[in-house]
Amino acid sequence: MEVTTRLTWNEERSLQKLLGNVSLTLLYKSTVHGCSTEDADQRCTDQGSILIMIYLSDAIFGVFMLGNYPKLNNSGKPNSSFCFSLTEKNNIIETSFLKVNFVPKISGKEPVIFSLDSDTFSIVPDKSTHNIQFNLKEKLRVANSSRATYLECEIFRVEGIMVDPSYIPRIMRVTPHRNKLLSELRAYKPHADMVSKIRILLLGPVGSGKSSFFNSVKSIFQGHVTRQAIVGSDSTSITEQYRTYSVKDGKYGTFLPFVLCDSMGLDETEGEGLCMDDIPHILRGHVPDRYQFNPHKPITPKHPNFITSPSLKDRIHCVAYVLDINSINNLSSKMVAKLKQVHKEVLNCGLAHVALLTKVSNCNEVLQDSFLNMNTSMTSQSQIMNVHSMLDIPISNILMVKNYASREELDSLQDILILSALRQMLRVADNFLEDLPLEEIGNLSPFCSS
Amino acid sequence: MAVTTNLTWWQKKILQNHFGEKRLSLLYKASVHTFSRHHLLGRCSNQGPTITVIYGDNCVTGVYVQESYQEQEEISSVIIFALKETKILEYKIRSYDSLLFGSQFMSRNDDFCINLHNQKLSIPSDVRKKLRLPQDHISIQECEVFRCEDLLDERNIKKIIELRNCLLSDLKAYKPYGDLIQEIRILLLGPTGAGKSSFFNSVKSIYQGYVTHQALVGTDTAGISQKYRTYSIREKKDGNALPFILCDSMGLGENEGGLCMNDIVNILKGHIPDRYENNSLKPITSNHPNYIDSPLLKDRIHCVAFVFDANSIEHLSEEMVAKIKRTRREVIKCGVMHIALLTHVDTMNLITKGDLIDIYRCMPVKIKLNQVNRKLGFALSDILVVSNYTSEWSLDPVKDVLILSALRQMLWTADDFLEDLPLQ
Repeated sequence: MEVTTRLTWNEERSLQKLLGNVSLTLLYKSTVHGCSTEDADQRCTDQGSILIMIYLSDAIFGVFMLGNYPKLNNSGKPNSSFCFSLTEKNNIIETSFLKVNFVPKISGKEPVIFSLDSDTFSIVPDKSTHNIQFNLKEKLRVANSSRATYLECEIFRVEGIMVDPSYIPRIMRVTPHRNKLLSELRAYKPHADMVSKIRILLLGPVGSGKSSFFNSVKSIFQGHVTRQAIVGSDSTSITEQYRTYSVKDGKYGTFLPFVLCDSMGLDETEGEGLCMDDIPHILRGHVPDRYQFNPHKPITPKHPNFITSPSLKDRIHCVAYVLDINSINNLSSKMVAKLKQVHKEVLNCGLAHVALLTKVSNCNEVLQDSFLNMNTSMTSQSQIMNVHSMLDIPISNILMVKNYASREELDSLQDILILSALRQMLRVADNFLEDLPLEEIGNLSPFCSS
Repeated sequence: MAVTTNLTWWQKKILQNHFGEKRLSLLYKASVHTFSRHHLLGRCSNQGPTITVIYGDNCVTGVYVQESYQEQEEISSVIIFALKETKILEYKIRSYDSLLFGSQFMSRNDDFCINLHNQKLSIPSDVRKKLRLPQDHISIQECEVFRCEDLLDERNIKKIIELRNCLLSDLKAYKPYGDLIQEIRILLLGPTGAGKSSFFNSVKSIYQGYVTHQALVGTDTAGISQKYRTYSIREKKDGNALPFILCDSMGLGENEGGLCMNDIVNILKGHIPDRYENNSLKPITSNHPNYIDSPLLKDRIHCVAFVFDANSIEHLSEEMVAKIKRTRREVIKCGVMHIALLTHVDTMNLITKGDLIDIYRCMPVKIKLNQVNRKLGFALSDILVVSNYTSEWSLDPVKDVLILSALRQMLWTADDFLEDLPLQ
């Protein structure tokens, strides 16, 4: 008999994704390799982290064990495993997790391959049966009527994860957290309804990922990788127009409460890239969508589409300095001077601002369990301290993302970084709105204008 | 210590290809699971065909065994191989017994024997010569055993067919963004012989149910397609027209040859009619009898696919690269979105048919994508790969999936274009 898994391709893929883009190697298959505890034991010890899949006639569930498969009669470490079940609905694989304080244990004498949390869950390989407590069944969405005998038990080695205690909580929370962020952004309303949409301006050197950030945000809400803002590389900026992008919640959805404003890249060479004198005009809302930038001269009030008296809704509410994390320490002095000059302008306007570092290579390290704060090891990185001192931006407003830059499938962890960055931008924009002097609101508010 | 192989990606790939498009699953690694016959067999018995790789001081060698390893039973045939840079030398031995993993007591001096306990590999001198190995006795630094599975096994084929049907119904149900138009126009642009017409033929073949060659293809450097053609595709013979039109253009040529920039802009804007004979020296003018004076949104191009032969990227002349970059700028200026399409991936070095099921994860393809990104400036996410129907007689679901997903990406891209249009 062939040693191939019972999992369908789809199921295998969603498991790999679920565990964080891991690869799975089948080590043991009960129908081929025998059903005794020893049969599994001799193949699966010392293989690193392990995934055990149990196939019932009407359900599939699994146990993940971090670190190692416990040796016979030895207990594994607490908090190093979790249970989940796989169900398929309309071609979409759903998983339900169970946070467990299980201590996996494999005992040879009583024929139990492993038991968790004093027998709330156990497997008896010799008889191909399993025992799950009633409430556990409910949580795992396994029908109560399921028979105790299972069809098959397979054990896989899981490759490509860090053996780290924070791994399990992260894996279990990543999808719910992503969905929570999504609904938070959908429901967001700017402070005191002063405007209906927050305008976020993306500013930064050529090729730093401004247009890619917009594409990434749109991709998340669209459900697949999109390319509305044209990106790519060339000697000069690909983006030559000022674009204000609204994002829809799905192809047929409504517009989300923010607008991402994409500008031409800053270039260290004089006469190339975004014209510095255009920046105050953009910030104050004079520059219309699709304005064709001219690196040599700024927009003038004579331009046919020049917005002469912009109201609060036309202005920029938050500026994001977009920088490639890999090039921050090698920015030329000219570029640093340009950025500082821009920043002065932004401060002059009293605008909210954040730094957005793109092309972060290891998303895992950026997030802690809570997905809120950066890891201390990350904050001490030279790039972050460099941005912090260069533009005097508080560390909590230095955000990190990895844009969707290749034709990969959407990834929850990557989504969380992008969505958290967006949420932080909206939060600082709220602070800006709240902080606006009353007379300025009076002058600018769309409700009060004559 | 992690259970991961010492083989480089290339070495592993060469092994996979040599023994017939296999996937290798690492079951045993001596340095982690101890150098012992008992432990090796405990983990690797009853696993089907296996490859055992032995790392010596300055050589990589091993055995391929078709039958499962067993504790007792004899093994009837073994292929001994040596891995040399980019190729594999092999030597077959028949009716071998379990001495393959002999101990010092069992092994005779002139036998092929892997003695794990003493970390010694003995090779008969005739085998050694054939495999061009340095010594008869090699000290084993590491030993790994892999299970071999077919890449295109039943399970994967089943999934591929499911995926193909899923893509077909997605494409059938597709509606352009905002119902602004009925059909998406996709323009295929690229150097002569890149596979533009072949791509159309491939799409048409899938929908027709058999391989067809409606658009003439060839590698003549002058460009077979002189005429600008817009092709609609029907589902089966008398089915409904699908919601896209593929526009096949004359190839971009060196110097002044091939499609000229003026004509490209006119095509993008929808001025050029079907069957217009392109002339590289004389671009179309508004005086031409069939010139479309005021094209509507439906006449315009909604997505451009830059088509390249994956194997000729490195041979593109500087002039051609400059021309492509210029064309791309022009396309961007017209506000049209684009993607890059690499054809003939199946003929890339080391790539086999089995790789097509997960092509974007293949190292040579990743390297190729980076190369295209650096040389031509296309963003990595905008580069798609396909394998066109060129010489085969029958359809292949693995190829279909690549072609159809490329097509779906193009339609999504066209959606982005439509959404990006100014309101008026």
